[in-house]
Amino acid sequence: MARKVAVVAAGHSKFGKRYDATMRELCAEAYKPIYDAGVTQDKIDATVLSYAASQFTGQGAGSALMADYLGLQNKPHLRVESACTTGTASLRAAWGMVAAGLYDVMLVLGVEQMNRVSSAVATEYMSMAGDMRWEYPYGISFPAFYALMASRYMHKYDMPHEVLSRISVKSHHYGAQNPKAHLPREVTLEEANNAVPICRPLNLYDCSLITDGAAGVIIAAEKRVKEFTDQPMWIKGIGAGASAMMIQDRESLTSIPGAKRAAKAAYDMAGVGPKDLDMVQVHDCFSIAELIAYEDLGLAEPGKGRELIENKEVYHDGRIPVNCDGGLKSKGHPLGATGLSMTYEILKQMRGEAENQSRQIDDVKIGLAHNVGQSGQFVNVFIFERGW
Amino acid sequence: MMTEKKELYLGYSSDKAVTPFFQEFLEFLDQEKLMKSVCTQCGTEFLPPREHCQKCLSLCELKEFTEREAKLRSYVVVDFAPESLASKAPYVVAIGEFPSGLRLTAHITNLMSVPEVGMALKLAFDHIDEKKLTYKFLV
Ligand SMILES: [Zn+2]
Repeated sequence: MARKVAVVAAGHSKFGKRYDATMRELCAEAYKPIYDAGVTQDKIDATVLSYAASQFTGQGAGSALMADYLGLQNKPHLRVESACTTGTASLRAAWGMVAAGLYDVMLVLGVEQMNRVSSAVATEYMSMAGDMRWEYPYGISFPAFYALMASRYMHKYDMPHEVLSRISVKSHHYGAQNPKAHLPREVTLEEANNAVPICRPLNLYDCSLITDGAAGVIIAAEKRVKEFTDQPMWIKGIGAGASAMMIQDRESLTSIPGAKRAAKAAYDMAGVGPKDLDMVQVHDCFSIAELIAYEDLGLAEPGKGRELIENKEVYHDGRIPVNCDGGLKSKGHPLGATGLSMTYEILKQMRGEAENQSRQIDDVKIGLAHNVGQSGQFVNVFIFERGW
Repeated sequence: MMTEKKELYLGYSSDKAVTPFFQEFLEFLDQEKLMKSVCTQCGTEFLPPREHCQKCLSLCELKEFTEREAKLRSYVVVDFAPESLASKAPYVVAIGEFPSGLRLTAHITNLMSVPEVGMALKLAFDHIDEKKLTYKFLV
């Protein structure tokens, strides 16, 4: 029987173009608030370090470097990688080790430094996560994969681009209220709808940012939880799903098949459904990804996701708040940190500690994080429950 | 006896990781023949081809793919390209679906406006330069 596991502390660096820091300093920024909350190095049994791509910095064996920088050089550590789901994949791996009894207390720390190279080079590296033999030779960038979904979705449901722009407007509305966000400023619907095209039908405001940053959490076995906090967040459900490598081989382009499978597994394990959720963090690497996530998670019927944004039901005071921290679009998307940033945000919201109370969600008991890798090859869904 | 193999690449790639199976595919493409693969054990067909069957992991053999008419399943107009294709932007990437259900991802090269999902596509071939070959779609 697996042991119960809780998130007991979390930390987060400032996201942005962090030319003032490298991966090691970003990790320290994310671990410092955790240390200050009493989880010193001697209390940590082992660490999982999460970063998606070593090409961005060239540092090999990065997990050893970062563990050393944090004073954890003599504790076991390992790196986990699965594209943009690297953060929650690390959390899933660590959960398994704690649930099985191998360790009692683990640090899961995600980081990415992406701005040491130009946007064109970063786009090149990310396009290498497509099939190198059959997709990469045709210049299918990361936004291009999601544009292929958007074209099909907009055609199937006869949906104007403006619906996607409304999602970007919401992201920036909340990013503007988040001191950790990369691009904390409001955008108008007109600005968002008329921005420069990147991969039509997607424009600049449909795309998440190329961001540097780190985020981390401490997880602990039930018997140790009280040492750290009287406000633990239990890991109640974990679902993982996968989809075909080549996007042409997917059974659907208007849904991410692996996300539906991950959501079902997480709901089943947690014994809850979409109606029980008080807040959701979705992987809005592109505006279309947020819309599709509403449907894959069962918050809306297929083709009806637009009603959630048009009726503002996904705002912080709406029926089901989604990404009220700015999401990947405005807060930013440092690949390896993203899933842990979602986890951080849910813990803060449950504790009533949203940074900038103007976006605090009322009485969060159950929260869900939806983290997608590349164009859907990897998906992790976590369901968390307030433990007090 | 070893014969000198012709240096060929698919699309805009300069990937030198060419296996004998992929080299054979490229040599057929050089003669404007697109090859699918068929599993020697269970008969499953793959486009683009695989050396190993996805279902039973048996070896596949190359067979000529003769369908020419496809429907546009989805598209993207790439305005901001990865560095390696920056000089080609904007370009249109399409997923075409053939009547058999097999699909292919390639550029549409003769389109002056934004494409429409469902439109008819024709499979064609091109030599980008002496070494770079491709299949492509025309409208
Ligand atoms: Zn077979």
